[in-house]
Amino acid sequence: MIELDRKETLRYLGFRNGKEPDAVLQEKIEKCGQELQNAVRPKSIVRRFALERPDEKTLRFAGLTVVSRNLSKNLANCSSVYLFGATLGVGPDRLIARAQIRKMSDALIYQAASAAMIETWCDIVNEKIRKEAADERLFTRPRYSPGYGDCPLELQRDLIRVLDAPKQIGLTLTDSLLMMPSKSVTAIVGVSDVPVICHPQGCEACAKTDCEYRR
Amino acid sequence: MRRDIPIGKKRLFFDGATGTILQEMGLSAGELPETWNLIHPDRVLAMHRAYLDAGCDIFNTNTFGANALKYPDNLEEIVTSAVQIAGRARKEANREDAFIALDIGPTGKLLEPMGDLSFERAVELFGEVVRIGSGAGADLILIETMADSYEAKAAVLAAKENCDLPVFITVTFDAGGKMLTGGTPESVTAMLEGLGVDALGVNCGMGPEQMIPIVKRFVAAASVPVIVNPNAGLPRSEKGRTYYDISPDEFAESMREISLLGAHAVGGCCGTTPEHIRKEICLCRDLPFHEPVRKQISAVSSFSTTVVLGEKPVLIGERINPTGKKKFKEALKNRDIDYILNEGFRQEDAGADILDVNVGLPEIDEPEMIDAVIKSLQSVTALPLQIDTSDPEAMERAMRHYNGKPMINSVNGKEESMRTVFPLVRKYGGVVVGLLLDEDGIPETADGRIRVAKKIIRTAAEYGIEKKDLVFDALALTVSSNQQSAVVTLETIRRLRDELGMHSILGVSNISFGLPRRELINASFFTMAMQNGLSLAIINPNNEAMMNAYRAYLVLAGLDPQCESFIRTYAGTKAPVSVPDGGSASHGGSGEAGGAVPGSGSDGTAGGRSAAAPEGLDGTLADCIERGMEKKAAEAAGTALENGASPLDLVNGQLIPALDRVGQGFEKGTLFLPQLLMSAEAAKAAFEIVKQYMTEDSAAKKEPVILATVKGDIHDIGKNIVKVLLENYGYDVIDLGRDVPPEVILETALKNDVHLVGLSALMTTTVVNMGETIRLLNKEKPDTVTVVGGAVMNPEYAEQIGADYYAKDAMATVHVADTVFHHEES
Repeated sequence: MIELDRKETLRYLGFRNGKEPDAVLQEKIEKCGQELQNAVRPKSIVRRFALERPDEKTLRFAGLTVVSRNLSKNLANCSSVYLFGATLGVGPDRLIARAQIRKMSDALIYQAASAAMIETWCDIVNEKIRKEAADERLFTRPRYSPGYGDCPLELQRDLIRVLDAPKQIGLTLTDSLLMMPSKSVTAIVGVSDVPVICHPQGCEACAKTDCEYRR
Repeated sequence: MRRDIPIGKKRLFFDGATGTILQEMGLSAGELPETWNLIHPDRVLAMHRAYLDAGCDIFNTNTFGANALKYPDNLEEIVTSAVQIAGRARKEANREDAFIALDIGPTGKLLEPMGDLSFERAVELFGEVVRIGSGAGADLILIETMADSYEAKAAVLAAKENCDLPVFITVTFDAGGKMLTGGTPESVTAMLEGLGVDALGVNCGMGPEQMIPIVKRFVAAASVPVIVNPNAGLPRSEKGRTYYDISPDEFAESMREISLLGAHAVGGCCGTTPEHIRKEICLCRDLPFHEPVRKQISAVSSFSTTVVLGEKPVLIGERINPTGKKKFKEALKNRDIDYILNEGFRQEDAGADILDVNVGLPEIDEPEMIDAVIKSLQSVTALPLQIDTSDPEAMERAMRHYNGKPMINSVNGKEESMRTVFPLVRKYGGVVVGLLLDEDGIPETADGRIRVAKKIIRTAAEYGIEKKDLVFDALALTVSSNQQSAVVTLETIRRLRDELGMHSILGVSNISFGLPRRELINASFFTMAMQNGLSLAIINPNNEAMMNAYRAYLVLAGLDPQCESFIRTYAGTKAPVSVPDGGSASHGGSGEAGGAVPGSGSDGTAGGRSAAAPEGLDGTLADCIERGMEKKAAEAAGTALENGASPLDLVNGQLIPALDRVGQGFEKGTLFLPQLLMSAEAAKAAFEIVKQYMTEDSAAKKEPVILATVKGDIHDIGKNIVKVLLENYGYDVIDLGRDVPPEVILETALKNDVHLVGLSALMTTTVVNMGETIRLLNKEKPDTVTVVGGAVMNPEYAEQIGADYYAKDAMATVHVADTVFHHEES
């Protein structure tokens, strides 16, 4: 079972400045969190590929060629990459769809709590990757997803195909490149024999500095 | 040409993995395996040969992922060559006895409304492959690895509509025994057998050991042969590769067990090799074989839930029906689907097992409406539905797009009715309600009604519809005009069960028309009907008297183990808690307390607060709203009004100031979005009560505002938050939903003369559609003001695409609206 990260849930709900919810809202979050835990079906798929870098902004892995300065920087000194896809399944989407008709405030909480939960699930998958690399005396880089910085969102299509994600874990893409189930993540994790000291991840690694949810 | 496949007559063997073998031959990750039909036909052929030499009876073409989404240009070539290669392999192996299965996997897209692939488009995509493959000489269609029952249904319909080959299907479960979208062996068996598949079962997802519980459930539920094609164990991921660990010997041993459990055809999926199949065949070939047994299970299903008739009386909620309901009719005319969905939720909460869906109204397009309502309902409730219409076109559309095996209401003993309805039941599946009347009307005696029942059973059989898929409505005629009518109905129910072994259904409340205190008659009649064997009751589950009778009956009939459900419902209650009925038009001040929720102290704190009423009465409603307490806000409003407060004073003096304070708190950062929404919901609940005390003209005219999530975007939570707030601030929101094309937005703006349009976009990929919508509005209806928002929006972006306003959040949108309509100094 994936724990509900209450702090992150509150952050997604817009809580800032150390403000705490009152008892009514607190109870609501607990209740929705439990429903959510019954509804999620976390799945993941991980593949590893050799990485080539023909020039400073071009990357080749899994038969793909990606041009992105930001991703190249993230993958500096890496010789291979893990690709992964992770999803909570359609459960959260169903709960949200239902709550949007019944009670919008519940929908908002499901939305925030499941957003927190998919991140926790990714952390779990990511940790397994890190450990596996550590066993080989290798180091992983912070996970990086299509759409971050100058890394093209269109890469999503390729990742999904290479991972065989629809069949393996039920992760699909719409024509406009939205992932469905919506609480899903695809990411690239670089593997290197050189450690990096600072591990910026999540908000800190993101270039969108005016985001209202930024930590 | 169709060849008879001896499935269910003797044990048959499928081949093993395709992908695994091709990968061993050099297929790389991400490379589409079907392209090898063109570039490496020799390797594909070698794979088939290896499986044929291992002894399999049915082998799959290399077409799992072949559809026009992946092969827009050369689908025909890919599929035709796949079948040709299979044919050559069969010939070279000298195995002309083997059968070529046209292999069809999922599209890789999620179907609407969760994803963006429409059901009919999915049918089209599958249909194309079926036409090509059957034309090229496949012997059967094998649909496999379906993880979504709705997509499975689209594939089966496509197969049935585009060829006359046998159709087999296997679906995939995860370790929890559920399909990705929630289906179970029972729910999917009900649906697939209803659609007339020739064999069904399970493949992929797990190894044979883990599959055993699922195999047992399929064998217990299915009347058609059961196919089992597991992986070579649970997939294990190591160093970014997937491994399947079970050796051919272990695999064969497990498949032996599965065969003994009653699987009629076995083979393998991911990770299995010709050696796995060879060993399996060696071990299973000579085991005793039992032909499938036709089960007499009457069941209906939704995407995830199965309701089996005959275990205990089943409740069908009758409230989704416009008859005699002014508000419901209004909702239908205004296409207010949310209203209808909420009617469904209330019945689900009250304990309905199935929801009846009747949306027939002379002035609306019923086929279109029932289609929309069925699709919406099945995406938000797991209860099976009963399609209730007399319009054959509406019936077919609803049955076609229903995600499961529905109840169908109804057919009757008239030739014409049977001729119309039975072919639909035959094609789409369902349990159909037979009304016991015919060309001669409703027989007055039970004898007469039983005769009609027999005629319906006979005719249904001619269409291939079994008794288990029929239930009979014994027809309750009003007892005030004929005092024998209840007796006749009850006798009919009993004899249906005892003499014909049939299930019965009844609209219970008809019996009491014209009598006072109808619920007394209804509840007693309901109990008597259940005692006589009633299988399904169509009732209002929000009616306490009926539910009391039902729960008491279950206890007395020994159907409520440990009286658990009864105790859970009634322990600690003194009087039944009544659910407010929003349907009553005015507050009559009768004993029924109108729509106001009685302040019966359902929670501890309410009493304490109303005790402080003398001085704090005004503060109470405002306080409840500010704290986001929906139920208490409604109670407070009711109390204030009963104590003589004027509705308008309550709105202007408490409701609006409270909302304003919350709004200001939100903008200052002392309150946050969930609290803003909870306050809005509390205000709405209070206003529903206040409205009942208002005269028509005191309700001000509302300005219309259009909200839409633009084309391509299927997330709409942000837009819906804006909607709640705008409505709270007195705007009439025309919600066009999500994935809305620019033309629809323009058309609606023109038709309703709307001056403010709010657009939302989540993805950078769909902002272009936002820009296009704005351009179209500017050109065709230049007096429209546009406001945009959403995850990817910012002020610069908004300016770039020509929007008049950018709103950073829901409150900001309210301010934009107030500015546009001069409700606020800007």
